[in-house]
Amino acid sequence: MRSRAIAALFTALVTAYAWLLLRAESQGAIAALILVGIAAGILAMRTQLLRPVARSLGSNERFAQGLAFAAVVVIALALRDDDFALLLLTRVLIVIVACLGLNVQFGYAGVVNFAGASFFGVGGYTAAVLASSARLPHLLVLLAGGVTAALAGTVLLLPILRTRGHYAALITIAFALLFRTFLEVNDALGGPQGLKLGEMRIGPLRFNDPISAGPFEGSFYLRYIAVALVLVALAFAVVQRLDRSWVGVALDTVRLDEIAAASFGMDIARWKIAAFTVGNFIIGVAGALSAFMIGFIAPNNYSFAESLIFVSILLLGGIGSAWGLSLATAIVILLPEKFQIIQEYRFLMFAALVVLTLLFRPVGLVPRPLRRLVGPPLS
Amino acid sequence: MSASVIAQYVMNGAMLGMMYALVAVGFTLFFGVLDIIQFSHGDVVAAGAFAGLAAWTLLTAAGVAAPAVLLLAVVLSAIAVTALLGAVVARFIVLPVKGAPQLNVLLVTLMAGTVLRECLRLFYPGGSQPKLFPALLPTSGWDIGGFHLRFDNVILLVSGALLIAGTHLIITRSRLGLAIRAVAQDEETARTMGIDFRRVVLVTFALGSALAAFAGVIDGLYYNEVFFGMGLLLGVIGFAAAILGGLGNLYGAIVGGFLFAALQTIGAVALPFASAYKDVFAFGVVILLMAIRPTGLIGERASERV
Amino acid sequence: MRFAAAALIAVLSFSASAKETVRIAFVGPLTGGNSAIGLGGRNSADLAVRLRNADGKSKHQYELVVLDDECKPDAGVQMATKAGSDRTIVAGVTHYCSVVAMATVDTYHRFALPVIVWGAVLPDITYANDFKEIHRVNGTMINQNETNAKFMSERGFRKVAVIHDTTDYGKGHNKYFSQFFQKAGGQIIATFGVTADQQDFTAELTQIKAQNPEALYFGGLTPIGVRVRAQMDKLGLKAQFDGTSGIVNDDFIKALGPLAEGALAFREGAPAEKLPGGRKFLEDYNKQGYSNPPEAYGPFAYAAAELLMDAIDKVGPDRKKIVKELANVTDRDSIVGKITFDDHGQNTVPAITRYVVQDGKWVTWEESEYAAGKRKLTNGK
Repeated sequence: MRSRAIAALFTALVTAYAWLLLRAESQGAIAALILVGIAAGILAMRTQLLRPVARSLGSNERFAQGLAFAAVVVIALALRDDDFALLLLTRVLIVIVACLGLNVQFGYAGVVNFAGASFFGVGGYTAAVLASSARLPHLLVLLAGGVTAALAGTVLLLPILRTRGHYAALITIAFALLFRTFLEVNDALGGPQGLKLGEMRIGPLRFNDPISAGPFEGSFYLRYIAVALVLVALAFAVVQRLDRSWVGVALDTVRLDEIAAASFGMDIARWKIAAFTVGNFIIGVAGALSAFMIGFIAPNNYSFAESLIFVSILLLGGIGSAWGLSLATAIVILLPEKFQIIQEYRFLMFAALVVLTLLFRPVGLVPRPLRRLVGPPLS
Repeated sequence: MSASVIAQYVMNGAMLGMMYALVAVGFTLFFGVLDIIQFSHGDVVAAGAFAGLAAWTLLTAAGVAAPAVLLLAVVLSAIAVTALLGAVVARFIVLPVKGAPQLNVLLVTLMAGTVLRECLRLFYPGGSQPKLFPALLPTSGWDIGGFHLRFDNVILLVSGALLIAGTHLIITRSRLGLAIRAVAQDEETARTMGIDFRRVVLVTFALGSALAAFAGVIDGLYYNEVFFGMGLLLGVIGFAAAILGGLGNLYGAIVGGFLFAALQTIGAVALPFASAYKDVFAFGVVILLMAIRPTGLIGERASERV
Repeated sequence: MRFAAAALIAVLSFSASAKETVRIAFVGPLTGGNSAIGLGGRNSADLAVRLRNADGKSKHQYELVVLDDECKPDAGVQMATKAGSDRTIVAGVTHYCSVVAMATVDTYHRFALPVIVWGAVLPDITYANDFKEIHRVNGTMINQNETNAKFMSERGFRKVAVIHDTTDYGKGHNKYFSQFFQKAGGQIIATFGVTADQQDFTAELTQIKAQNPEALYFGGLTPIGVRVRAQMDKLGLKAQFDGTSGIVNDDFIKALGPLAEGALAFREGAPAEKLPGGRKFLEDYNKQGYSNPPEAYGPFAYAAAELLMDAIDKVGPDRKKIVKELANVTDRDSIVGKITFDDHGQNTVPAITRYVVQDGKWVTWEESEYAAGKRKLTNGK
């Protein structure tokens, strides 16, 4: 019970911090907040202060997820009329979903995918085309985005199954470059000028109208946040369920030792196909929602550089770790926005930061814990 | 299509292929000794070209006008800078993550390349725009029908071929080459035989990067223009070429380089769709080829270790 | 010593805060392939703000909030939302990339933030909507190419090949040029789209050479323009090089050296140095010691910032009032010529200036030795 209270207190602290950071305007306040965050992080790592919290959260995944869910809701409501902060928050949530999909591929089955942004784009373009031409309910359009992305991935299945390591990496890199060029050259999908999407609708709900219910007034982004949050919860559930089941064990085996897996009679190809397809599906759904929220898509959004950002998030967070990638996504998306002051130097700083993290903390911020299928979790 | 036009395409493709091959050889050398992909290689090429350009700018400002002297200075400073850069990347970026998963190495070198590229853009004077690279070779040539053959292109092509041949000689005939091959075969055994592993790695990276310097200078002399972002695509294509041929295989890298150039030329010229699809075509074929020959056309140096 | 400095700062900031600080946003590409133009635009807008503050006549102290749209629609919408939702920002000088400008018009409209586009050329940005908040000081690609096509056919060029980049900029230019040129009786013998990061154009140029065009129209920006022009020479392709506003900058000439001679290009607005204040702009710009030149669209960013500050000085820092005030802009003098906004907020009088490179400089056609007949364009035209 006590450990739960500590965990709740910890979550409240983190929530307050996130709220402050999202609200902060002046560069001084932002710099101070970030320094405090870094100091707290280092302190926590050095002193093992967070041990009890980690243990409490680790022992009860559902409790932890509930806390995180509540935290996001609290932040969203606290920021209800701050459009920009809410937009950032939605973006963080959507990218978390996409990275969870990527995590199934990289983190579990060990299938590399350097074309994450491309599949994100397939979802986005599907949404744009379907929303304007077909009278499909928009929730189905989101699903369709995922399905198309998964289908697009099947093109790469054969070469990916036959190759491994750097050879497999090349295939997805080639695909990422090819995809972007294709979108730009091809006029059927809007070409370089991109496509415009109307607002999202679910039933009578129009997403782009501001919210006002009695005394409560809020930004229209709240609706997108709600959908994004549901998607995150679903993706988390799927990923966590995978991880905790024999499927997860099977995927790990495929990643760690293909030969051993094969000699135990496992069908490696099947597992890889499953992971790659499920991953792309999740990425595609995220891409579709992102397209609705931005209201406009163009090839520039889905370049190889964007894919690299996804992969960076995965490694920064700690490969295979769902919580780690969530933290890393928040950092990677929020920091550059909060640091507009460094303007043209932002990309340089980002790249340097990734290099330093990989050199000095190669396991990532929150490494994936060992799984414990039976008995109490390892401390 | 007339014979002279076809000759022109072949010449264009050959120049491209030579540059790709020079970059790909670097990738394959690094993979040989360390089993890693040094993905900032393309940006090291760009850095080499800019180093050469800087030497030219300084010397012409000092009043030197003799093309031979300038050319020598350009080449030497490009080599010096990239060799140093290659060794620094090996020492401080690659060796520290040697034991880490492949993915980490790939990403860390990609990001190191980004740092390099952004530094060129932000800190080289006027680096965000393309820069004029001087024409230091004789520019006259012959017009044979539609085929325009220029002396400088011939010189570049021949010197590129000589460089690759020279690298091949170093690898197969010299003591250094022996050490490199020993490390590539088996690091542990090489160490026990008294080979200084770290030195061999650093020297290999310096060597491979010096080749990149040539690629950068040839690129500059051929296009008469260098650009901070030129390394990105050149790096990816060089990597694709090295993989196509089979990693760790010198001949494979050369074949891969020329093959990719051929694909691009065919994609632009001989196919029924718009030429802008040429990269879509070239990368599409690469994916297809990988499905057919998963370890490259010539095959990787060693069989899969279990 | 330290104390004295602190005291000085305190005094300075006090005297500054005596005036109300008004914030306007600048949004453009500061990173990536288009960053040179973005940085030039930012510096120019920054210059306008600095000069206004130094001048001291204004009731307000201005502050420029600089945001990077990375030339990507999602980043652009994010920045537009940031500027729009920040109530202390009252107006914006926005976007060079057309695709980003297209993506953000809805956002500015939603937040009722008056903006002036300083560089994006796609017609739809102002004409595909009726938003009162959206204005543009530079012309669209339509005007530019109409003049270009007319000029080329009058000089007697009949067979023209086209190379354009596959971004919205290049594609749009290709569309309007081809349309106007064919209407004027010319013939487009080949069209090639090329991607923005492509370095080798020999395959395309060899094909073009085989068809023997009299001129090559290039729709794109300096980096590719330089490569295309240099490689034309490598292949011995002798055709008149005819470019767009995207290459009217010193870098084009610097990167090509003598090869740039005789290249044509067209741009909206009169050349800065010919206009009241234009020469002063260039002098002031150089005095500030920015590390990048203003580039082709810097003067437009400067003019846009000036227009906004004029409006704010007149009606105060209120978004709605600024929108109303901007609707009244007619025949306003600026460093890019007279500015008049039509009912779509589009500047209607951008005179198109014809440029030709002569002795390492962009010279207006009227003043060039080419017009006087002392020199001839390629193929003796």
